Amino acid sequence: MRIRISHESIYRYAAPVAGVIQTLRLTPRNHDGQYVVFWRIDISEDCRLDHHEDAFGNITHTFTAEGSFTELGVTVDGEVETQDTHGIVRGAIERFPPSLFLRETALTRPDTAILTFAREARAAARDDTLALLHSMTERLHREIVFDPDPTHTATTAAESFAMRRGVCQDLSHIFICAARSLDIPARYVGGYFHRADGVIQQEAGHAWAEAFVPDIGWVGFDPANGISPTDQHVRVAIGLDYLGASPVRGARKGGGTEALTVTIHVDQAAGQMQN
Amino acid sequence: MLSRTADNLYWLSRYVERAEYLARILEATQRLTALPLAYSGTTNEWESAVSTAGCVNAFFAAFNEANEETVTEFLAFSPANPSSIRNCFEVARTNARAVRTALTMEMWDAINGGWHEIKRFGGAGATREELAQFLRLVQECSLRFDGSAYRTMLRNDAYWFSRLGVFIERADNTARILDVKYHLLLPVEARVGGPLDYFQWAAILRSVSALTSYHWVYRESLKPWLIADLLILNDQMPRSLASCYQNLVQNLDYIARAYGRQGAAQRQARKVRTRLENSRMDDVFQGGLHEFIGEFVVDNNQLGTTISQQYLV
Repeated sequence: MRIRISHESIYRYAAPVAGVIQTLRLTPRNHDGQYVVFWRIDISEDCRLDHHEDAFGNITHTFTAEGSFTELGVTVDGEVETQDTHGIVRGAIERFPPSLFLRETALTRPDTAILTFAREARAAARDDTLALLHSMTERLHREIVFDPDPTHTATTAAESFAMRRGVCQDLSHIFICAARSLDIPARYVGGYFHRADGVIQQEAGHAWAEAFVPDIGWVGFDPANGISPTDQHVRVAIGLDYLGASPVRGARKGGGTEALTVTIHVDQAAGQMQN
Repeated sequence: MLSRTADNLYWLSRYVERAEYLARILEATQRLTALPLAYSGTTNEWESAVSTAGCVNAFFAAFNEANEETVTEFLAFSPANPSSIRNCFEVARTNARAVRTALTMEMWDAINGGWHEIKRFGGAGATREELAQFLRLVQECSLRFDGSAYRTMLRNDAYWFSRLGVFIERADNTARILDVKYHLLLPVEARVGGPLDYFQWAAILRSVSALTSYHWVYRESLKPWLIADLLILNDQMPRSLASCYQNLVQNLDYIARAYGRQGAAQRQARKVRTRLENSRMDDVFQGGLHEFIGEFVVDNNQLGTTISQQYLV
């Protein structure tokens, strides 16, 4: 499927800022399931956009914009051709052995409730890792109510699990945290999701998880949708948790309070058939 | 567009590209064998030229020994060798004539005029001087043809199919040079490259006209692993495998968009490109340069077959 993405973030500052520095993880890379046809990043201020690669192999762009200005726009525009690989990720960049992704982070520290959840899932699935991961995906999808209100970007897996509420980011954190507690390497994936229900305009990107299954490799699980990633998913960045894969991280000098408006359009590009 | 037309355009470009490549190989080999004997060691450069051209069996069926005379005759002029430069041009011209109306005037002039000049050369007793002239002429014809296509053709499926031919052939050629010479590019601990190695490396670069580019990119003396990096992974280098695949993917994408459907060829090309893009030279050496190139050649041939099945028959 050819997916057209535009992602616009506009920062409005109450007072003029003296400078902004940001690191963007907004550029997808190719793997067997996706191919980037074109991709462009545009910043509303004059600045140099430096292209780097982080330790995980994600493409990053950094820029420093000198003030003063009261509004900053970061626009991403691109097209990606995707194929359904049943969630299996092949041909992607792997800079580390899977065991690295057993590391615990502040956002994915398990509490007793999550440990119990993981152990129950394992007991039900016996020795079948794949079945275990699928059952956890399904249970999280069923039991956690999708609700953007009570959580924010710094909500931990344990907090969200206790509330039984969260967004894709929280569900992925819970999933990762539970998988790691069972010694299954798991990681966070940030990206875009083309909705089958025809909703094109979205307020946030999407997130899911990948777990390492022996004999298969990295397999994606999307607890927010209760499925494994399909050709509707565009994979952008990976990390140990949201912070490692977050699309934008940065700092600014001055500016007072900041208001951020994010508009994401994910749509199917001009009709095409597979033969 | 008829499959037959696409097929002719594709093979027209492939043959012109192949002729140019053979001319480069012959030129590089001539240069290498002109060195004093003390430098040239025990390898037979002429035999290695035949294997780079990928026709060892056919060659030894026709000749007993690989030397300047026999190899030049076989690769440049022999009617018995289906891939001799002369035959390449003849087939290219036949293809061009079949799709005369799909070509621009300039392209047809380049290929037809080129063929008439080229066929005057050959026969026994050609001097080195004449051979040098001939090789130059072949490269100029190829340049003229490629340049005319670039400057005059409509950017539609006819252009894209002709580009596919160029880049499939080019990728195959670069891979074959690497395959024959890979033992020279392996990093050996504490190895001091002797003068022979230096000239061999320079010859590899020259055969893909990358000697100057090398110095622009790396700004240091010739190092075999950097040469491999340049010819395999550097997408700025027009004859590198990465660059060929960048172009193949793009042209296949144009075709897919114009026809509104895509298939195995697009998938195969993207897969290979992703692999080249996500590889690092260290990992390639770790897994074996020879194996890497061997797999690439298989993948590239596979893409050629897939394109044929999807579009050309």
